[in-house]
Amino acid sequence: MNEETNDILFDLLTKKAVYGLEEAEQGHLDDLDAGTAEMEFRSLELAVAAISTVGLEEEALPFHLRSKIIEDGEHHFAEARTLVSELWPPATSRLSSVSEKDDVSGGSWFGWFGWAAAAMACIALALNLWFTRPQPSVEVAQNKPPVDTPRSLSPSELRDQMLKAATGTIKAAWTIGNVKELTQVVGDVVWSDDSQKGYMRLQGLPANDVAKETYQLWIFDKTQDAATPIDGGTFDVKSDGEVVIPINAKLKAQGPQMFAITIEKPGGVVVSKRGKIAAIAKVETQTKPTA
Amino acid sequence: MTQAILQRITDGDGSAVQDCLDKYGGLVWSIARKMLRNSEDAEDAVQEIFVDIWKNAERFDESKSSETTFIAMIARRRLIDRIRYATRRITAESLDDVLLEPFTRGDKDMQVSLEAGQAAEAMRNLRPEQQQVLRLSIIQGMSHQEISEATGMPLGTVKTHARRGILHVRESLGLGGANISREATV
Repeated sequence: MNEETNDILFDLLTKKAVYGLEEAEQGHLDDLDAGTAEMEFRSLELAVAAISTVGLEEEALPFHLRSKIIEDGEHHFAEARTLVSELWPPATSRLSSVSEKDDVSGGSWFGWFGWAAAAMACIALALNLWFTRPQPSVEVAQNKPPVDTPRSLSPSELRDQMLKAATGTIKAAWTIGNVKELTQVVGDVVWSDDSQKGYMRLQGLPANDVAKETYQLWIFDKTQDAATPIDGGTFDVKSDGEVVIPINAKLKAQGPQMFAITIEKPGGVVVSKRGKIAAIAKVETQTKPTA
Repeated sequence: MTQAILQRITDGDGSAVQDCLDKYGGLVWSIARKMLRNSEDAEDAVQEIFVDIWKNAERFDESKSSETTFIAMIARRRLIDRIRYATRRITAESLDDVLLEPFTRGDKDMQVSLEAGQAAEAMRNLRPEQQQVLRLSIIQGMSHQEISEATGMPLGTVKTHARRGILHVRESLGLGGANISREATV
């Protein structure tokens, strides 16, 4: 990287840490990203945060605001417990009587029935991949684009199109799951019940070794028990940075309340043991029809 | 123990919420008031910031920063997002005060953390123009363009001072980075 480019990169990183960036500037930064810019940004952000506390004359937090925050905190902790232990409990009821000895990591509820179903799913997925290739500039290999997707548009463009045009589009922000190594997963998921299409925009999911594992989406909707969410398809991430991935729901999803991405063995699973939850997105907003 | 608060939040210890507010409520509130200057906006923002803190507590790494700096960073992220969706700039009538305000507070025994004290020390080692640019941009929230107009410095010079100043402070605080730039010199 020459000195001029280096200066531009650092000007953008500095601006991002101090003020945030416009979309075009972020695009420029992405183009310049030397692979280390993210680490640079994090350390600059911390330096700026430290500077922002210099000489800060602290005012006491207003009492009424403190009470609201405590309420929010209680709600957050209750919700987190619900998300992990109730909304997505260890799914055992359907398969509890099945042998668990075949699970790779041990202690699984994934029995013979599960393996057979997984094998069928893999075959179906392989056929699906065969008939749906090639995909238009998709970062991932294994997700089928929505049936009537114009091939000339990228998933990112289709996502934008959906957000602009669709009514009743559900949107949820990703947050990290229970994988310690994943400290930052950002982005969102958009979904339309009407079109049964959706897109995941993700940043922070590391490229996976396709020989060892894959990412798999799960959709928790009104129609399915929380123990048996809808399989939203498997996908691989081939490079760092933002990826936009079309959702490939295996069943009709109605009113999703939560999306979760797990890390599974190649080909995915029929029922996840939820050992590695890479990201979770809880639905909070539903867009209004555009004027 | 202060350092244990975010870990306790990660562990789901509900009582850590109150401890976190005792320790950092004033810090977050003051940063929000400084950046937003509108009490209503600041109240909404502070509520959002603490939700962000609960959600991001497990990302805190004590080998990289103090809890104070980490929380200030989370606060600034949210505030920057809000500011980007609203037009807020420092008011004209307060501009003179801001420009004339000497950078002396680092000398007072009022730093909110050890890192803030170190940052203050690092800033004192900067050239006066760099100190001024950092103070106006980061502490007072002025844009580079506004600083250029208010001080008469060319915009490019403002950017250079900002970049070099931040790099110097980062280096002084041992916050690392990937060393893309080699110009952390004063």
